[in-house]
Amino acid sequence: MRLPKFDYRQPESIQEACAILLDQPDAKVLAGGTDLLVNMKHRVETPSMIVSLKGLRDLDYVRKANGMVRIGALTRLKKVYNDPFVAKKLPALAAAASSVGSYHHQTMGTLGGNLCQQTRCKYFNQSKWWRSARPLCFKAGGDPCHVAKKDQVCYSTYCGDVAPALLVLNAEVVLSGREGSKQVPLESIFSGVGKTPLNLEPGQILTEIVIPEQSADGFSTYKKIANRGSIDFPIVGAAVWTSASTGESRIALTAVDRKPVRTRQLEDFLKGLELNEETIQGVDGLVAKETQLMMSSIDSISYKRKLMGQLVKSALSEAMGGR
Amino acid sequence: MKQAIALTVNGDVYEVLISPNQTLLEVLRDKLGLTGTKKGCDLGACGACSVLLDGEAYLSCLMLAVDAVGKEIVTIEGLSEGGDLHPIQKSFVELGGLQCGFCTPGIVMTAKAILDEEPQPTEESVKKKMAGNLCRCTGYKKVIESVMSASGRMGGKQ
Amino acid sequence: MEKQFSVVGKRLPMVDAAAKVNGSAQFTDDLTFPGMLHGKLLRSPHPHAKILNIDVSKALRLPGVKGVVTGAEIPDRQYGIVPKARDEYALAKGKVRYIGDEVAAVCAIDPEIAEEAVDLIEVDYEVLPAVFNVQDSIKEGAPVIHEGVANNTSFAIRKEFGDVEKAFAESALVSEDSFYSQPVNHAPMEPHAAVAQYDPVRGQVVLWSSTQIPFFLRRNLSATLMIPESKVRVIKPKVGGGFGQKIDMFAKDFCAAWFAMKLGRPVKFVYERDEVFIVTRQRHPMHLTVKTGMAKDGRILAQQFLSYADGGAYNSTAPTMMALSCFFLMVPYHVPNLLYEGYHVYTNKPVGGAMRGHGIPQARFAVERQLDLMADRLNLDPADVRTKNSIKAGEPHPGGFVINTCGFAESVQLAAEAIGWKEKRGKLPFGRGVGMGGASFPSGVTNMSHISSGAVVQVGQDGGVNVLTGAADIGQGAETVIAQIVAEVLGVSLDDVRVTAADTGTTPLDPGTFGSGVTVRAGNAARIAAESVRKKLFECVADELEANPDDLVARDGVIFVTGSPEINITFPKALKAYQYKDLPMPLVGRASWMADTNEPTTLFTQPGNFSPNYSFMTQAAEVEVDTQTGKVKVLKMVTAHDCGRPINPMLVEGQLEGSIAGGMGQALYEDVITEKGQVMNPSFLDYGFPTTMEVPEMESIDIETDDPVGPFGAKEAGEGTQLSPAPAIVNAIYDAIGVNFNELPVTPEKILKALEEKKKQGV
Ligand SMILES: Cc1cc2nc3c(=O)[nH]c(=O)nc-3n(C[C@H](O)[C@H](O)[C@H](O)COP(=O)(O)OP(=O)(O)OC[C@H]3O[C@@H](n4cnc5c(N)ncnc54)[C@H](O)[C@@H]3O)c2cc1C
Ligand code: SF4
Ligand code: FES
Ligand code: FES
Repeated sequence: MRLPKFDYRQPESIQEACAILLDQPDAKVLAGGTDLLVNMKHRVETPSMIVSLKGLRDLDYVRKANGMVRIGALTRLKKVYNDPFVAKKLPALAAAASSVGSYHHQTMGTLGGNLCQQTRCKYFNQSKWWRSARPLCFKAGGDPCHVAKKDQVCYSTYCGDVAPALLVLNAEVVLSGREGSKQVPLESIFSGVGKTPLNLEPGQILTEIVIPEQSADGFSTYKKIANRGSIDFPIVGAAVWTSASTGESRIALTAVDRKPVRTRQLEDFLKGLELNEETIQGVDGLVAKETQLMMSSIDSISYKRKLMGQLVKSALSEAMGGR
Repeated sequence: MKQAIALTVNGDVYEVLISPNQTLLEVLRDKLGLTGTKKGCDLGACGACSVLLDGEAYLSCLMLAVDAVGKEIVTIEGLSEGGDLHPIQKSFVELGGLQCGFCTPGIVMTAKAILDEEPQPTEESVKKKMAGNLCRCTGYKKVIESVMSASGRMGGKQ
Repeated sequence: MEKQFSVVGKRLPMVDAAAKVNGSAQFTDDLTFPGMLHGKLLRSPHPHAKILNIDVSKALRLPGVKGVVTGAEIPDRQYGIVPKARDEYALAKGKVRYIGDEVAAVCAIDPEIAEEAVDLIEVDYEVLPAVFNVQDSIKEGAPVIHEGVANNTSFAIRKEFGDVEKAFAESALVSEDSFYSQPVNHAPMEPHAAVAQYDPVRGQVVLWSSTQIPFFLRRNLSATLMIPESKVRVIKPKVGGGFGQKIDMFAKDFCAAWFAMKLGRPVKFVYERDEVFIVTRQRHPMHLTVKTGMAKDGRILAQQFLSYADGGAYNSTAPTMMALSCFFLMVPYHVPNLLYEGYHVYTNKPVGGAMRGHGIPQARFAVERQLDLMADRLNLDPADVRTKNSIKAGEPHPGGFVINTCGFAESVQLAAEAIGWKEKRGKLPFGRGVGMGGASFPSGVTNMSHISSGAVVQVGQDGGVNVLTGAADIGQGAETVIAQIVAEVLGVSLDDVRVTAADTGTTPLDPGTFGSGVTVRAGNAARIAAESVRKKLFECVADELEANPDDLVARDGVIFVTGSPEINITFPKALKAYQYKDLPMPLVGRASWMADTNEPTTLFTQPGNFSPNYSFMTQAAEVEVDTQTGKVKVLKMVTAHDCGRPINPMLVEGQLEGSIAGGMGQALYEDVITEKGQVMNPSFLDYGFPTTMEVPEMESIDIETDDPVGPFGAKEAGEGTQLSPAPAIVNAIYDAIGVNFNELPVTPEKILKALEEKKKQGV
């Protein structure tokens, strides 16, 4: 499947990249390309210009400084999970990064690209001729949504593996624009709007992921259920972080909504509790109750509902041993 | 707009005129005539187009050719030296790690990347890293055996 | 008596393995020619519609476009694999019948322009009501998909012998159960492609195509282009897997040839992956009701079948598929009374065709599942029930099959032993279980015409052997097997033999790769051709060796006298002698071989033998069900297998390992999901067939029988083994969690639902 035509730029600095993006509102940045190029081949994304970030070599690092772990947005997933500190101290991140797609996607795909990936839908991730059998859907530029069976809404699902892991590790991200950069909580970049799932401003690029080193104290894990043992996006993915010393827990899910979601009521419920068979008894029910599973074209909702609680529960019971 | 780029493939430098929307796979096959690299899906989901890019396994169907400038690309044609099969290739031939052979170039290139990174991999590790290379013929058993045997044959080191 | 062979029976690499592993093997899409154009097809977005008008003017005006063709311009000739069932136009005429049906073709100087041009074609459709399942399609007043086909039922078969009613009355247990097998896509790794070039000197169009049956393709092209067969030459380059999906002619073949002839330039068509999924072929979804009467000891007394195959928009191989589905219910079990009724029904969906097992996987799934259900109710061991019912070589067969060799009963035993049946069945902890399934498959399907395989063996001055065969190697290793057979007969090494294959312009007629006939049919032809060469050589050197030609043996490059190996002459010297006698070089032998079997259509009404021989196998699986997620892990799969004498055990193993992955996909992972006729998962990602991570430990056990008909005792291998993995897995799931699944695939979601039901009912 051929790519549509576009202009190509390979800026050498972040500033230059941001300037180009501001100048060309419908330009798109390309990192590993493993998400964007598929969507372009399907013609569901047709930017007039590609701003390739492959020239920005200084965004490829994992380093520790001042109590923070800093990861460049262009660091490829394989490098992230092979980093000794990540592998040892941030197991949720290592598990999530190494569960993305296949070895090839982990080799090519970047951490920033994984976070910023498009939402997914069975009516959307299809070729142009496939989609021609139905009216253009809302996200693809038309009116109707074939999932919701009404107009002007989009129920596409966020299926990234790494975001929930970073959410429970309390990660923040650095967004760089022409005016400089700012650090914001990771959660804030997800809009929850199916058609435009990211809250980036024009000309903004995600340049760095920042994880407080405190997150390394505590137990963390990421669990994923997918059709096959590789390649596939999660049917549901769940990340859990718990700390015995503070009695806190953080839990996040992916592939359940238009964005990755935290389960804050459950976190509150678990606060201060000692994790044991008894306390985690009803956890699956609480997850199901708190998480409004979005109508979706991707996998059955009732199956997802069953799985998500179980995933969280089994992660927590692992934590009982781990933390 | 077409632009001239230089690609380093199998040690040779090729100057080609391309459009930015051409993938590395298209340029290898259609411009350079290196048709050993296969197009199974063109959507990053089968591994048939795997090549080495600076020694790592890349899906050439999801890589813009322009972005490959300055990288060392190795394709299946570049693996055997002077007509002799590479030890990995020999293992696949002898152990029957292929049938129709369509997935094979991609599988062999991925095997090369795996063994360069991990000269003595466990079978589990090979399975995990090879999972993105689909094969509809072999059921994978002899594929995995071939990689394991190649590891032994290469003395567990590069 | 142990026979000694030098090349046959050896684990030798495929003759083309080195070329495949170094990237030099050329598949259709790897071919380019000077001035080549690129084609693209416009496909219907509607499941059922009348074509009112097609305006191609904008497309034609696009710079770089060299030609556009629509159904209106092509000859009024339908094609199809079975002459009586032809119902398809290369490009739709007047009406489209499923989403993906070809409406027009474009060719241009590059693929990008061709794609653009396709978008510029304007089609006015009148959308017609459509049907998407068999139940609706056979109803009175349902939309008519093909004019003149009542109830949308394009093919019906009924076969009967014995007296089922009487036998049911005498049975200790009669059970009637319904089963459903889903549509499965072959998903060969190589997408379908064709390149055509017109040869003005010969007035011939040459087509390179990813095809399994070059001679049938030639015939369909000749018929639809309305030119003589001699003006069409089909060449099969390397083919990247087929599994039945590359049996039919497709629009890409016709349109490439059409444009090449019209424009005098080479033209290439390559399908995208989603086209492969949607517009080629798939295994027929099938509903099957089975009523079986059993004696108390588990003997099958009678079976009655009612089957409905959902054929999608066209027939493809429908009659053959239905016939196979029916006839192979008569093996591997002895069924003394049988009544089969089957219907092939059109719907506005993707088209069913031949797929590995061809109609039989669906039937086997039903029967093998029901055997377990019934064994359970009779409190019998399903393995014993299988052995007890096994047909036996040499015994009269109720349907008239001639079974010369049969390792089925033994295969049940060996598979059971290897999986640990006695220790495990019913005894493993909840969530774990074992199961088995049995099967039998023909070695070749006689197909109305193009029945025989030919072979020409040429030996040159330097001893190099060239075999001309029409057999189509699509990755299974047909060329290797043929080369081994010839090498063995001539007593030369495999390296001395080259195979020139599958070019209708130069190689002898062959039915092609389907019905698992290649080894037996083309192998026998090659064997006889080689024997005739050998005979000529023997006659030539007999004097010099002072021996009777009949007493000579050729082995390992030497011709010698039986019993006196010291009296010998080397192969090159013998050839020299042949040359010095001024006999024609190259030394040529030719032969043709055809199975001595009955025409399949006669079997509808009377007994008869279907195949020259029959392979037999039992597969046994051990599975683990994750009761939290519903996921099934197949831990191990054993195959005990009688394929006669394997010509190349390594290739046979490869076949059955591949079919385990395929069967596992069928059981657990694969399903072509449609919504109003539109395929929802036409990609490797969403279709999700097994990867390295899913496949189980595999063990194969070879039960060698020396079949009198097959070359060197060989029988079919590779399709039969596709029949039993799915029932074996689903039977093992029953053993693991006590739930009976009669519909495929068994997804994790279904398993969780079933487990919940079970909990609710408190069992
Ligand atoms: C077959 C297949 C299977 C896959 N399976 C999975 C899976 O299991 N789990 C999973 O999570 N993903 C999966 N993916 C998607 C993808 O491979 C990964 O998400 C990958 O990490 C994306 O990273 P990338 O660098 O390639 O992103 P790109 O494709 O380069 O970019 C993705 C998107 O993010 C934007 N973007 C990229 N970098 C930045 C940045 N720094 N700032 C702002 N915007 C940016 C791009 O404009 C684009 O819209 C799969 C893809 C394929 C083809
Ligand atoms: S959810 Fe609806 S609007 Fe969104 S991509 Fe799917 S069909 Fe389109
Ligand atoms: S062709 Fe690139 S992954 Fe399939
Ligand atoms: S050998 Fe045919 S797809 Fe792998």
